[in-house]
Amino acid sequence: MKSRTTAPLAVLALTAGLTAGLTACSAGEEPLSLAEADALDEQEVTLTVAIDEGLADEAVAAFETRAAEFTEEHPNITVEAQEYTWTGTTFAADLAGGTLPTVFTVPFTDGRGLIEREQIADISALTAELPYADQFNETVAQAGQAADGSQWAIPVAAYGQGIHYNRALFAEAGLDPDDPPATWDEVREAAAAISEKTGETGFGMMTSSNTGGWILTSLAYAMGGRGETNDGKQDIATIDTPEYHDALSYLHDLRWEDDSMGDEFLYDWGTSHADFGAGKIGMLISGGGDYGNLITQNAMNPDDYGVTVLPLEGDDAAALGGGTLAAVDAKASPAEQAAAVQWIDFYYLGKLTTQAGAVADAEAAAAQDQPVGAPVLPVFDKATYDQTQEWIADLINVPLEQFAPYSDGIYDQPLAPEPPSATQDLYATLDPVVQAVLTDEDADIDALLADAEQQVQTLIDRG
Amino acid sequence: MADVVVTSLERPVPPATSQAAPARAPRPGGLAAWARRGGPSTLLIALPMILCFGLFSWFPIARAVVMSVQYTNLVAAPEFVGLENFTYVLSDPLLPVAVRNTLYFAVLALLFGYPVPLLAAVAMSEVRRARGLFAALAYLPVVVPPVVAVLLWKTFYSGADTGVFNTIAGWVGAGPFPWLQDPDWAMPSLVLEATWAAAGGTVIIYLAALTGVPPELYDAAEVDGAGIWRKIWHVTLPQLRPVLFITLILQIIGTSQVFTEPYLFTGGGPANSTTTILLMIYNYAFGGRGDYGAATALSLLLAVVLAILSAIYFRTTKRWSTT
Amino acid sequence: MSGPTTGRAAGPATDRGIISDADLRRPGVRRGLRGVHGLLLAGLVVLGLGPVLWLGKAAITPTQDTLRAPVEVFPNGTDWANLAEAWTRFDIDLHFFNTLWLALGSWAVQLLIAVTGGYVLSVLRPAYARVLGALVLSTLFVPAVVLLVPLYLTVLDVPVAHVSLINTFWAVWLPAGANAFNVLLVARFFDGLPREVFDAAKVDGAGPFRLGWSVVLPMSRPIVGVVSVFAFITAWKDFLWPLLVLRDPAVQPLSVRLPALQDYVELDVLLAALAISTVIPIAIFLVFQRLFLGGAGLSGAVKG
Repeated sequence: MKSRTTAPLAVLALTAGLTAGLTACSAGEEPLSLAEADALDEQEVTLTVAIDEGLADEAVAAFETRAAEFTEEHPNITVEAQEYTWTGTTFAADLAGGTLPTVFTVPFTDGRGLIEREQIADISALTAELPYADQFNETVAQAGQAADGSQWAIPVAAYGQGIHYNRALFAEAGLDPDDPPATWDEVREAAAAISEKTGETGFGMMTSSNTGGWILTSLAYAMGGRGETNDGKQDIATIDTPEYHDALSYLHDLRWEDDSMGDEFLYDWGTSHADFGAGKIGMLISGGGDYGNLITQNAMNPDDYGVTVLPLEGDDAAALGGGTLAAVDAKASPAEQAAAVQWIDFYYLGKLTTQAGAVADAEAAAAQDQPVGAPVLPVFDKATYDQTQEWIADLINVPLEQFAPYSDGIYDQPLAPEPPSATQDLYATLDPVVQAVLTDEDADIDALLADAEQQVQTLIDRG
Repeated sequence: MADVVVTSLERPVPPATSQAAPARAPRPGGLAAWARRGGPSTLLIALPMILCFGLFSWFPIARAVVMSVQYTNLVAAPEFVGLENFTYVLSDPLLPVAVRNTLYFAVLALLFGYPVPLLAAVAMSEVRRARGLFAALAYLPVVVPPVVAVLLWKTFYSGADTGVFNTIAGWVGAGPFPWLQDPDWAMPSLVLEATWAAAGGTVIIYLAALTGVPPELYDAAEVDGAGIWRKIWHVTLPQLRPVLFITLILQIIGTSQVFTEPYLFTGGGPANSTTTILLMIYNYAFGGRGDYGAATALSLLLAVVLAILSAIYFRTTKRWSTT
Repeated sequence: MSGPTTGRAAGPATDRGIISDADLRRPGVRRGLRGVHGLLLAGLVVLGLGPVLWLGKAAITPTQDTLRAPVEVFPNGTDWANLAEAWTRFDIDLHFFNTLWLALGSWAVQLLIAVTGGYVLSVLRPAYARVLGALVLSTLFVPAVVLLVPLYLTVLDVPVAHVSLINTFWAVWLPAGANAFNVLLVARFFDGLPREVFDAAKVDGAGPFRLGWSVVLPMSRPIVGVVSVFAFITAWKDFLWPLLVLRDPAVQPLSVRLPALQDYVELDVLLAALAISTVIPIAIFLVFQRLFLGGAGLSGAVKG
């Protein structure tokens, strides 16, 4: 049977096929194992899978190539693509309405809550069968695990926060694009220079749809803070702290003393990336793995792209980590769940675990001039990651040297996970705080943080 | 969604209860007699309405009351929590902010959207040729789909020196203004766009009412020696009073449920300065927490306030029509 | 203003307004009036037409020009490719037809319910009409916002039938029918019709269906027009409800789809998409101008 990942699975499948033959169709509503699913090739399954919203035609074509390869391997599965990009303001409606694709992605941020409330399917029995199930990076794997350690959602990408910067604007402002700022003071100087010399936004800041709280928390982490701490019994919001205060003061200075943050203070993820891609923002803090989106959705000129790590200053400073989980609709039937895990294995993880998968994925993308080989954080370990980059070395078409400040630095940075409880609520509560500081010169940072901390605690307690 | 703006103003004269025709209650003549009188056909004709209202109006209303005393996120079984949702919502520090914002929106909408259409309509009613052109121009913005209007105005409102409005402001040496990017500016900016989008409709309503003013009244006023201004003040405006009052109530009820503008322009920001009550309800339910109990509790509270407003409106109009 | 007033705005415009012919003969008045009208026309052109014209211009202007010199006309030439890209990449035609379908379906459902409902409540008046009328009337006092969440949950799982209407047009069409205003409007109109005609038809042996079809319906053309304009415009402008129940891009109307585009497209293409989405309703408006303005004016008269 199937070529790639699944040599061990193939054996399993054979034996399972035999036993399945004996027990015939007794599968019923019992969960199918992957092997059984493979063996039951005649069972027709239609699987709705997520495809990013608003992709350029070439990216859609690359996706379709991959989907065709998948159905060739699994002729019983019909793959239907559904446009989907995780958005904080509509995800809950999609979840409640049952309108998500069967396989969808969510940020690490949401993993714990979804699993606790059993809003996604428990596919842990299926994931345990994957040959690389025990090889995930431990902190990465935890994002998709229930309290008992079973893997309900599969991590498919990981990143540490970074500073994306526009090399063209750096050059125009007289800065060296190959030597990006390494301290917060240098970031501030660079932002001021860009605003001054180019007229564009020196330092762009997301503030809406929970991103304001997310980026503020990234800054606080980098200055040694944490959004929540556990007192042994429960999670306590720790927002009214010197680190959050410093982070807000820092933004306040960029905005009001230097005027280097442009004139848009309601950015969310989409609009900030659209403007960054269009060359209107000098520096933007976001997840380190955004290159693909910037190129495929926002038509950024690859030559202009640069990325570096966040400066870490202060005791216990860390880069806020994050990533993407692939999850399965809670209402999926056993056959759909099995097919879903096969799709996740093929589409999201094949390129990270097998040479054939990595090459096939890279070829499909390269054939459509889509970015191949943009550095990300390993979902497994660094050795596995380096191996995959080696497999596709000939196909890599992204300017790796422009990623160097990030990819050289990120492995030396301590990576810390997001605040665990009511994470999105914490971020949402901080959005207006960030907006207040950026739009009101006299905003009372102490009062804002004190109020926010109390509100977040209420939300943590309400569950 | 049913358009409440429209719905709440009809002076309801429930036909079935009008006294003129005594209800012809079927005498207990048994099913056969009922059938002979066309009872089944009548029921069949009534069925679409009964089903539609039953499923999509009466049932959800009842459900809202039930849900407001439950904690539910649609996954776990709903749990009875008494008045907890109400106390939670009422103690939410965002609520006073949202109430204030919503009232502010309503007041601004009245300031922007009340006098100007009235003046325009009065002036327009005196146009003797090509009035259709005037009316069409005034109505044009109403035809632009609301979402298009918001996205277009978002471009106009660019805070950059080279934004559309800031360029125009620059011609007279003003600006640049922060339009949507400042807590003090954001709400007026939203209202300005909303007024642009809606004023045409108001103008046309006033215009229709103006043509309905009986000409004899003007003749009579002239006999008394009234000039143009006195005619406007003593004849036109009093004649428009019912329409003016209705549009007023309409505006208040409509603006208390404003959603599209804050959702698309600012997402409620900056710093919650444009968070309205409906946006809050949306966020409770669909903004991540899936807290449907809190959302319905707040909806019901808002409904009570609006019902009081409607009651005042009905009482007042009744008084007018009986004096 | 009491009593049925539906006919008023439809009636002929009065032959005089505030200003009398005698007033007009005074040169000061004439000049003043002309000045006021000139100002009014200028204001209307700038405010009503201006933004729309600007949108048309921006649709074929490169992004950088729109950003840097938004009120100059084509400082660096035009970029017609925007329109093609907006059309092909974002299936504007698909979303436009979705919008149209939604409006047409809502219109049909609203009309069906309003006419049959009004007919039952006003003309047929069965014994339960009093209760039914009161129940319908009571929903007038419940603002739409109260229904947002429970109606959403109802559409997710329709009672009895236990189907989900999410991602189908029915999720918009059917709830649109539960519009008490329309029902009462039609009922009140029927109240004003001469009952003798109905009684005569009944004496001739017409049952409820025939009475409705061949007597009442032909007489209700004016009110059907009013309800139609209301229904269509409301459906056309709807945003929040379709946003909630139509999550699949393939069934979304323009109002739901366009905001999603701003994350992915350059400004010039977005503006081109906005322009295309505006041209069609404006064209419809210009063709049916009389109907629109008559309907809008009528709404005021009815409201009065």
